[in-house]
Amino acid sequence: MSPDFAITLVYIGYALAVLLTFGAILTWVERKQAAIMSDRIGANRAYLRIPFTQVKLVWLGLFHGMADGLKLLLKEDFKPVTYDKLGYALGPWLAFTPVVLVFAVIPFGGTLDPGALFPSLADWFDGRTYPMQIAPLDAGLLVVFAFGGIAIIGAMLAGWSSSNKFSMLGALRAGSQLISYELVMGLTVLGLILIYGTVDLDAMVRHQSGTVLGFLPAWGIVYQPLAAILFLTAGIAENKRIPFDLPEAESELISGYFTEYSAMKQGMFMLSEFIEIAIIAALFTTLFLGGYNLPWLTDAGFVFPGGATFELGHGAVVAIQVVTFLAKVFLLCSFQILIRWTLPRFRWDQLLGFAWKFLLPLSIANLVVTAVAVWALT
Amino acid sequence: MSLETLLLYFFAAAALAGGVLMLIARHPMRVALALISSMISLAGIYAILGVHVIAVFQVLIYVGAVMVFMVYVIMLLDVRDPAFLERYGRAVVPSVAVAAVLSVALGAAVSRGRIMSADYLAGLHSNSMAASFEVQPFSVEFLERYWLHFELTSVLLLAAVVAAIAVVKAGRRHDG
Repeated sequence: MSPDFAITLVYIGYALAVLLTFGAILTWVERKQAAIMSDRIGANRAYLRIPFTQVKLVWLGLFHGMADGLKLLLKEDFKPVTYDKLGYALGPWLAFTPVVLVFAVIPFGGTLDPGALFPSLADWFDGRTYPMQIAPLDAGLLVVFAFGGIAIIGAMLAGWSSSNKFSMLGALRAGSQLISYELVMGLTVLGLILIYGTVDLDAMVRHQSGTVLGFLPAWGIVYQPLAAILFLTAGIAENKRIPFDLPEAESELISGYFTEYSAMKQGMFMLSEFIEIAIIAALFTTLFLGGYNLPWLTDAGFVFPGGATFELGHGAVVAIQVVTFLAKVFLLCSFQILIRWTLPRFRWDQLLGFAWKFLLPLSIANLVVTAVAVWALT
Repeated sequence: MSLETLLLYFFAAAALAGGVLMLIARHPMRVALALISSMISLAGIYAILGVHVIAVFQVLIYVGAVMVFMVYVIMLLDVRDPAFLERYGRAVVPSVAVAAVLSVALGAAVSRGRIMSADYLAGLHSNSMAASFEVQPFSVEFLERYWLHFELTSVLLLAAVVAAIAVVKAGRRHDG
């Protein structure tokens, strides 16, 4: 096994672990945060009992996610007499897989030098360094949108093949909503591409590692505050969550395009939705919040404005970068859940009008202003 | 046999299988799915050849845009026109003839080794070739040398739109 292959395997393992953990933790965060926001106690029933004792571990209801997972796995996998068996079987996979694959191009840390971290393996790695990213592609941002398109097909296929009027309506809504908001999302990042001059996500993050005006971190949100807001709005809409949850509005459509799915198939739709919260947060972090960059942290350690420095070893820098990325992602996930429990649901015509008549002109205006500014400054 | 060659054969087989299924399948949604799998396999082949940008555009444009709309339309219209229930349409003889001519032409080209010679493939896989297909050189080349061809394609699309409207109008007149 070559060192490159080993590192890639480690990265893939890390990505899967992070995404599935986020998927599981966010179900709990969603419950507990909603409870705190509405002044309730929230999830506190599921517990693990230490064998042969009466000690019950509740841990703030953290085991509810585990109980959910078990329930979904053990439930009867009810199969309706479907319109199209192939589409019904493919639907959950086409909705789930692209969401997870997007993480492949997101850089979750700076440069890793495995030889410096593990001196005993230094000969094997032979001084090679690796960017902490599964697929360091120069077309990274385009990959994100390419996979987004496949996920739309998954939702539509699931709704269509269920042969249920509610599913069908949900699928139609999902299709038109996702197409509209993906357009907005694409237009908002164009401004960033103009500024950074690249679509390589790792290069984008490296662009954001400096400072502007001597003290502000050079994050995308500083250059493009409007685009950041538009991107997050479109991202939440891509995620099909309140206030944009029309495709699965439970008071209108039961659960929309996955009404006819049960057990773990339904669980995959749920999980892909929760993982997508983390993916949207990771994308936003990468594009607008400097990715793994902590202000004033360089590869050698902290360099504070004013000249004070604080040197750190390679291991500490890597650990800080990875933790910084995860912390930013988690805070943004929590912010998305905050929005989900704050705003009421749009009406259908309002939802599409919001995308085409409000967000789209704003993002085009943002793009034009950015283009003029970039042209004037260079 | 290296992993890349293995994957190349896998994606080539998948692309072919998708193409064949597209011809055999009768329900429009199955046809669309077969086309999607064929296109994604083609993207896989491009990625193995090292031209990631082409692979990404293949998925982004053909799957993310074209096929999404196709699936949307098939879903929206569902199946009002039961023509797909008949195994053969009226155009079966001319289409088989065209397919035969096309496959003979392609087969001749391949057997003469102009498309798939080993040297040519090795050249495709070399790093210099892949480097000219990175985002920046590719886009500069595209906008400086091929912009006219690209714009001409849009004329072709306009013609297709006009033709589609004409077909729809003709069908309406027939009904009414």
